[in-house]
Amino acid sequence: MESNKKYWKGLEELNNTPEFVELNKHEFAEPVPIEEVLSGTGLTGKTPRRNFLKSVGFGIGAVSLAACQRAPVHKSIPYLIKPEEVTPGVANFYVSSFEGQAILVKTREGRPIKIEGNPGDLFGQGGISSQAQASLLGLYDTSRLKGPMQDGGDTGWNPLDSFVKAELAAIKASGKQIRLVTNSINSPSTLGVIAAFAAEYPTTKHVTYDAVSYTGIIQANQNSFGKAVLPHYRFDKADIIVSFGADFLGSWISHSEFTRQYVTKRNEAAVKSGKMSRHIQFESGMSLTGSNADVRIPIKVSQEGLALVNLYNEITGTTLPGSKKLGNNIADNAIMLAAKQLAAAKGRAVVVSGSNDVAVQILVNAINSALGSYGNTIDLDNPSYQYKGNDADLVALVEEMKRGDVGAVFFLDANPVYNYYQSSAFADALKKVRLRVSFAPYNDETAAACNIVAPTHHFLESWGDENAVEGFYTLIQPTINPVYDTRKAEQSLLVWSNNAVKDYYTFVRNTWNNGILAKGGLAGQNGWDTLLQNGFIKVAEKPATPVTFSRDLNAVAQTILAQGNKLTGGEGKLELQVYENTSVGDGKYANNPWLQELPEAVSKVTWDNFAAIAPKTAEELKLEEGDLIKITANGYSTELPVLLQPGQAQGTVSVALGYGRTKAGKVGDGVGKNAYPFLVLTNGTFQGNAVATIEALGGDKVVLAQTQTHGSYEGRDIIRETTLQEYLKKSEEKEHGHGEHEKKQTYDLWEAYDRPQYDWVMAIDLNACTGCGACVVACNVENNIPVVGRDEVRRRREMHWIRIDRYYSFDEKGKTVTEEKEIDKLEDLDHVSVTYQPMLCQHCDHAPCETVCPVLATTHSSEGLNQMTYNRCVGTRYCANNCPYKVRRFNWFNYWNDSRFENYLQNDYTELVLNPDVTTRFRGVMEKCSMCVQRIQAGKLNAKLQKRSLNDGDIKMACQQTCSANAIIFGNKNDPNSEVSKALKSDRTYYVLEELNVQPGIGYQTKVRNRLTTEA
Amino acid sequence: MRNISLLFKQFSRSVLLIAGLTALSFAAHAQGDKAKGEALYKAKCTACHKLDQRSTGPALGPIMTSETDDKWLTKWIQNNQALIAAKDPKALKVYNEYNQAGMTVFTELSDGDVANIITYVREEWKVMQEKPKGGAATGEVADSGPSSSMVFALIGIIIVAFIVILVLNRAIGTLERLLLNRKDLLPAEEVTDVVAVDRFATFRRLIKNKKLVFFVVLAGVVAFGSWNWVTMWNTGVQQGYQPVQPIAYSHELHAGVMKINCQYCHGGAYKSKNATIPSLNVCMNCHKVVKTESPEIQKIYTALGYDPGTQKYDTTKARPIQWVRIHNLPDLAYFNHSQHVKVAGLECQNCHGPIQTMKEVYQYSPLTMKWCIQCHKRTNINGLGNAYYDNMLEVHEKLKKGEKVTAAMMGGLECAKCHY
Repeated sequence: MESNKKYWKGLEELNNTPEFVELNKHEFAEPVPIEEVLSGTGLTGKTPRRNFLKSVGFGIGAVSLAACQRAPVHKSIPYLIKPEEVTPGVANFYVSSFEGQAILVKTREGRPIKIEGNPGDLFGQGGISSQAQASLLGLYDTSRLKGPMQDGGDTGWNPLDSFVKAELAAIKASGKQIRLVTNSINSPSTLGVIAAFAAEYPTTKHVTYDAVSYTGIIQANQNSFGKAVLPHYRFDKADIIVSFGADFLGSWISHSEFTRQYVTKRNEAAVKSGKMSRHIQFESGMSLTGSNADVRIPIKVSQEGLALVNLYNEITGTTLPGSKKLGNNIADNAIMLAAKQLAAAKGRAVVVSGSNDVAVQILVNAINSALGSYGNTIDLDNPSYQYKGNDADLVALVEEMKRGDVGAVFFLDANPVYNYYQSSAFADALKKVRLRVSFAPYNDETAAACNIVAPTHHFLESWGDENAVEGFYTLIQPTINPVYDTRKAEQSLLVWSNNAVKDYYTFVRNTWNNGILAKGGLAGQNGWDTLLQNGFIKVAEKPATPVTFSRDLNAVAQTILAQGNKLTGGEGKLELQVYENTSVGDGKYANNPWLQELPEAVSKVTWDNFAAIAPKTAEELKLEEGDLIKITANGYSTELPVLLQPGQAQGTVSVALGYGRTKAGKVGDGVGKNAYPFLVLTNGTFQGNAVATIEALGGDKVVLAQTQTHGSYEGRDIIRETTLQEYLKKSEEKEHGHGEHEKKQTYDLWEAYDRPQYDWVMAIDLNACTGCGACVVACNVENNIPVVGRDEVRRRREMHWIRIDRYYSFDEKGKTVTEEKEIDKLEDLDHVSVTYQPMLCQHCDHAPCETVCPVLATTHSSEGLNQMTYNRCVGTRYCANNCPYKVRRFNWFNYWNDSRFENYLQNDYTELVLNPDVTTRFRGVMEKCSMCVQRIQAGKLNAKLQKRSLNDGDIKMACQQTCSANAIIFGNKNDPNSEVSKALKSDRTYYVLEELNVQPGIGYQTKVRNRLTTEA
Repeated sequence: MRNISLLFKQFSRSVLLIAGLTALSFAAHAQGDKAKGEALYKAKCTACHKLDQRSTGPALGPIMTSETDDKWLTKWIQNNQALIAAKDPKALKVYNEYNQAGMTVFTELSDGDVANIITYVREEWKVMQEKPKGGAATGEVADSGPSSSMVFALIGIIIVAFIVILVLNRAIGTLERLLLNRKDLLPAEEVTDVVAVDRFATFRRLIKNKKLVFFVVLAGVVAFGSWNWVTMWNTGVQQGYQPVQPIAYSHELHAGVMKINCQYCHGGAYKSKNATIPSLNVCMNCHKVVKTESPEIQKIYTALGYDPGTQKYDTTKARPIQWVRIHNLPDLAYFNHSQHVKVAGLECQNCHGPIQTMKEVYQYSPLTMKWCIQCHKRTNINGLGNAYYDNMLEVHEKLKKGEKVTAAMMGGLECAKCHY
């Protein structure tokens, strides 16, 4: 399965630009200026005698003073009365829930230090997203409000309560409207509290909206089937998936669940049996999902609707009025093939669209109905409650506020001043409201426009519950006392509505006692205790009821095509698409440094958003990477740097949402530019497509903090991929004994290491890995990895121990490009295929880093680990120079005690998140993946304490644990029955750079693509 | 030295014991009733009662003196439950006052026995009250007296000495002036010259002896070098570190004399990386009733916000005790107690020394890496009977044969076993 295809990480590598060559000559982008010192006046320059004596004197004095210090006095402060369940030094795990997903919270001495997936969870089954991992940091965020505020000044809860109650009484008497604006809420208890509040103040209306809206799907289902719900998609039942701009692996609805489902059809078992799913993606901007697709067809934003119409025509054999070809041979051909495939896999197919247009989604419903997806790959009877927003309600609210009808408005988990498409209009209308209350934990854009801010708890500090999918209920329980003087929003609402139930905990218990517990077959105190153990209640799925689609599609097609025409860009105009990315999301977590520094999955840009443009389009517009451009659309304009994105449809530009926060907090303020004002209200829903004018601004180029080409492999053979047909053919040949023998003879210079008991290795399935980056954040949390900030990332000094390398390769009509000359000939970079590869220390048995360390700071263990001993390291950095995988990281600063890095993890509160079992590294030492050695040691000790042998699966790496795709398997290679041994036996296994005979410990499984055959 | 002081203590204790017993026997002759009463009181009552203080039950001195109805008292002591059941108003009052915690029933005591107890309590209480309270106080002052009076005396002496020196200086000055005025009083200077010449001559002769000079220089270098060597090696080694702790807790008393198991307080050592300093509720298990009057125990009460009079906790007044950490491993080293105590089965004393004889704990071991490594090289693993090692074929074979398997052979010297 070796290939001679050329893989490249970025255009600079592909074109071998002089800057790229220069930067990659050295291991470290900014070398120590030792040569300057040697060649200049450095050594010949004279030091005056007096200066010399001064520094010698100071040196001796300082050293002796420092040495005089006797034992520093450390205080040990035990508990006054120790809680029974706490043993200092031993972690406790508590069940909780994050965005409807069951999780476990690891606490040490009463403070949460890590979030892990709950193995019984419906969504990730133990895997959780990068956002879930990173949400922990919000608990210790110093930008959070320290207490309630009134009119911008601090106040107490009692005066605030009496003020709000008096105001509410006055508003009630005046008969004015009260509005509660929230994000989608699926918590039964919160909805109960809101209902109780509405009962006390009858003019209350609950307005639900989402920053990134799914109203289109919900209303289309209402229109098509009379069910205003978001269906529960089942990608694990789909053999063929066709997606039109839906980033279902990266950001769409329930992405970590979809990742798990998707991969069950693409993992070792699926590939081996030849039953791998086929995924075809039509999209304009390169999304995480598109980059994982077997076939990705770039189409313009304006053509998405038309493509769907054509697909419908092909599947049903009808012709909707006004339909025409796309005028793009590849796309037209692909639609035809996709239609054939879909029709052949009825009941095992699904078509999804990322559009928020009702008409488009009705058409998608029609296609899915024709394919028999309902009841199979799409579940309408057990719907998802993750998104419930109705865009029209929010628009109506603005009108009401403008008219002065609204007396009070409450914002819970909603920030419309930032993410409403006409934010200044919203802010102006809001001024006319008498009582404006925000429950935001931060003094965010909306909270700053309110006269009362009653900050709510972080979810780890509070009771609560969630019901993200029909029949799946999760419990949130507090794992720490509130860090600041905050109060749960529901509690505030209970107080203000004079509820008989005085505290929210009782309210939650009542809600569960009256119905939910019984659904899980539980009751009473025992039932509650069981729930506190399990964390969720799962009710058997409701059986599918047949649905039929019987709408007339002529009008729908008309709307879609008209909309497409409206979006078609003219001369000098590009079609703009705004999207949600995998790291920062909708902007709610913009103040989270872990997420800001997580490279965005496809572009690998950190700490910024940008205007992604196809290289060909950029050439036409005479733009280069980093040029600042002004994008104007829908009466809003903003300035963004250009990023040349291979795979981007020509004539389009993509901009990520969630950036440009002005009041997010110390970390998130001023990162990137706001793209929400580009949204437009079309046919009653917010849509992220528009025609934009581009204007080059000139001036200095912006250097994006992009990690993609940090650490080059000089074009060596890193990635292996094959197609499903080829793979099946080869493995069949092998079975019959006439396949090639890949066994190579190796010669060793050194004696082999003895590994009597354990040989810790990893298997990473490139076919399962979607490149989402959850493992990167999990590793950051587990191993106390510092956040370095934008400037340091630009200097190639990011500290992540595991990175996701993203490789492009050409995929031009079945041809593979083998020689560099041919690349020059290629005119466009539209059709690139993408492969992701998690790269971390390979724990080589013949590690090149070990032999060059002059102080033996990096050595080999008898368990196959490459150990890094920080206290021995003197920082020569030879090891990093000698590492062929470029996975070693150098501490350029004392990140834990340097005022320049205070914004990130280093302050009195945020440092509470550190894992006490892992040391924080000092300036001047090297670090790298330790294979979570603290977890290995803890696992072994646990087995010893319990007097049993260590079982496979007892020890899980942080990256492995969080992976919804189950792409990473860790274990003992000496045990032939371990999961990892089995995984490594796969005939797809290869080792990166094994020709160097460094004998890496991490085996990768070849990527397999289920290509479309082009015979049609 | 410790042994000698221990011997002395034991000796003095036995002397005191004998003296006390003699005194008792004398007392027994003098008052028959009270002595019997005392014996019974100590056997039956002291678990819950004190004469002068509220303990689990009320302070007996005042309550028995104020309660003159001996018959009722007898009934109560013999079977208080019967009185409560009969709804006796007095009995119910006491019962409710003490949170309805019933007193133990003593039906085995005869009326005479009870009378003896009552007599003892009343008389002893009288004696306690008559005893001037200042007595104990003066005793204490006398105890601590020497230190402060000594300080004053020393200061006095220093001042007097200073004055004497001043006066003497004055006198010398006057005499010198006298001498200057009258030169004929000065002795001839030649004599001193001769002495000086002689002294330098010896020195010069010695300096000319090259062997001697070489030897002296060599000795100097060796001495300085070895001093330096030792000092440098011991930089940061705090062996013997014995800081003053906020409470004068004695391991000698608790672990040595009382033989309380280490695990009772340091339970973490068996299940966690931390041995854990006990939280104060562990202390209170005993010290709610034991030695409540000691000023050191009072510190526990203050820390907890506990009022021994009412037996109530006031958490608003609670302030944790800040012990001074003695064993400070650097942050870069990971050490887990349970691995060593539970798995390896090491005694606490292996590293912490004779903790059961330490009045104040000091750092017994150097806690250097060399010390860790040495032990890992020498100590056999405690593998037999632990199924964890069953799977490790090689090790298992060796263990079965009774061969040595040290921690080092198990990879116990590898960096990442302790540094991560």
